[in-house]
Amino acid sequence: MRVLVPLAILEGESVSPGLIDLLGTMDVTVLGYQRLPEQTPPDQARAQFEERATSALEDVAEEFRAAGGAADHRLVFTPDRRQSIERVGADVGATAYAVNGATGTVERLLVPLSGDVAVDRILEFVAALVGDRDIGVTLLVVGDDTATSERLEDAAAQLEAAGVDVATERGTGNPFDALVESVPGHDAIVMGQRAPSLASLVWGEEADRVAAASVGPVLVVRRDDEADTG
Amino acid sequence: MATEEAGQNIRGETPDVEPTVETDEATITDDAELERTIGLTGGLAIGIGTMIGAGIFVFPGLAAGAAGPAAAGSFAIGGVVALLVALPAAELATAMPKSGGGYYFISRGLGTLPGTVVGLSLWFGLVFATAFYLVGFGFYAVDALSLAGVPVGRGLVIPLALLLGAGFTALNVTGTENAAKLQNGVVALLLSILVVFLGFGVLDALGIVGEPTAPTALAPRGYFPILTTAALVFTSYLGFAQVATVAGEMKRPARTLPLAMIGSVLVVTVLYVATIFVATSAFGWERLAREGETAMVAVGRDLLGQAGALAILVGGLLATMSSANASILSTSRSIYAVSKDAILPAWASRINLQYGTPHVALGLAGGPILLLTATGRVQVLAEVASFLHLVMYGLLCVALLALRRDEPEWYDPDFRTPGYPAVPILGALASFALIGFMARLSKVVGLAIMLATAGWYYYYARDVRLRGVL
Repeated sequence: MRVLVPLAILEGESVSPGLIDLLGTMDVTVLGYQRLPEQTPPDQARAQFEERATSALEDVAEEFRAAGGAADHRLVFTPDRRQSIERVGADVGATAYAVNGATGTVERLLVPLSGDVAVDRILEFVAALVGDRDIGVTLLVVGDDTATSERLEDAAAQLEAAGVDVATERGTGNPFDALVESVPGHDAIVMGQRAPSLASLVWGEEADRVAAASVGPVLVVRRDDEADTG
Repeated sequence: MATEEAGQNIRGETPDVEPTVETDEATITDDAELERTIGLTGGLAIGIGTMIGAGIFVFPGLAAGAAGPAAAGSFAIGGVVALLVALPAAELATAMPKSGGGYYFISRGLGTLPGTVVGLSLWFGLVFATAFYLVGFGFYAVDALSLAGVPVGRGLVIPLALLLGAGFTALNVTGTENAAKLQNGVVALLLSILVVFLGFGVLDALGIVGEPTAPTALAPRGYFPILTTAALVFTSYLGFAQVATVAGEMKRPARTLPLAMIGSVLVVTVLYVATIFVATSAFGWERLAREGETAMVAVGRDLLGQAGALAILVGGLLATMSSANASILSTSRSIYAVSKDAILPAWASRINLQYGTPHVALGLAGGPILLLTATGRVQVLAEVASFLHLVMYGLLCVALLALRRDEPEWYDPDFRTPGYPAVPILGALASFALIGFMARLSKVVGLAIMLATAGWYYYYARDVRLRGVL
């Protein structure tokens, strides 16, 4: 599986060592991007910054290679970061993309399963990410009706079958607040991407808000491209 | 690869030519990708937003004074000329969906000398156009202040225009907020104001509501002024080519470029002709002429009372601001396009990493704009802007004819001009003919600028070869 790691390369953003290690079981595409205001033609920025950005990207890709998986890099000049992540993500067939955040060695992942997300894709990804490493997983749902409980039990069973150390948690109230409350004791979050909604238009992408609130890195499992365009 | 082919300028700089692959969503170069993010709505907003400020909010009084009710005919002539050029321009844009617009097509189709003249003239043409929009804004701002109970007199028109010009330049250097969405909203608001206004005005003009107005002679000053007025108001049609300056950033360029360019010309032509018709019928051309640059405010008051005046004032402020800002951005882009090709020094297109904005090019746009705004000569500013653009439009049609004759291997447009070769031939003739109807001073200034740019070519960029260099 492949993970896209977007990086504001020219602003000097770097990937935390913990995230590099965590992604050791994955192939990685580092997406260096430079966000441009509308008054700047992308080509103009390319002419000036391409070389510097490319050499920085080589270095980052090398770090990922050293951690285990195969790694390559792409460089994009864009007025719209979101659109570029979507396009390149689909282009390289990435299962997930990373939202950078500070962390040391990752010992436990938090995986929220609430809302309209592709649970199977998330669980498959988590199992592959953990691999045979000693990383624990906490599954989080919000609500206590039967359907939610079933979802939680099925998910835990599926991960246990893959040999992962699983704990479960139930939150109450607003899923976002419940998630942020559960963050202590976890080093990174894996969550599913939702369809764009009014809320994401107003408040910004959910994953970015989660990353900001939790400080640590967030891995967002992309929606299925086929189902999406179908 | 292109280094030896493309030659170098006097400083030893060579055109920066990167082989690219164009897809619907991005431009792929060797090491990087350039995201395409402007859709059809964005393209139309650029075209309409650039054009609408002048034609509806500044010119009606001036045009009616010069041509009488037949001023509507002048706008129609301008619209036809614009359409004759927009069609070939759309074909060239789909064949070369690169930012740079008319300059790019002409330098690749006809060579470096015409390219330099057009590229640098476009810089100055846009500077003149922006100064014109800013002065128009100044008139509206003064009227708005007096409606708000602060009568300041026309002496403040130029200072206010200068303030806005300096403000926009500074904002574009330091601002990283994306104003494109705002632009879409502004254009939508303007269109709604105009549709309400026109709806009322047409009913009124036909005598269905309000007092029937006495019909006046169509062309009280004779027929020749219709053509000179067409030359004057052509500044109202300069926006469609600005769509091509962002061709490299438009999604699905094969479809969006022709639609945005031709669509925006059609939309504004209809709006202009209808507005002038309404204004002259509802108000009488003599009174319109007396009211000058902000005559539309008086028309709004006449039709819909104080609310009408307010709506037109707000519209006028927004429209002239939107035109001015769009033109400042186009100016900066046109400087980049020639600097990339070594016709200007490379430092002219430098970007600062702090804001990610092209501060040098914006300064090269803003400085001259303020100088010209200070002159406050609305008609000369408008005509010189049109002059320099019309030269580009004419040559653009010639470039299309040359490319179609040779059909080089790389030339594969997705949109082909209907009515070829009549449309580009008529487009070229009409563009050059319209220049002939301008005031003498405008022609002298325009010619002097073109000669200076040609001189620059012989001094600076004689050895640069751009024809067919993609």
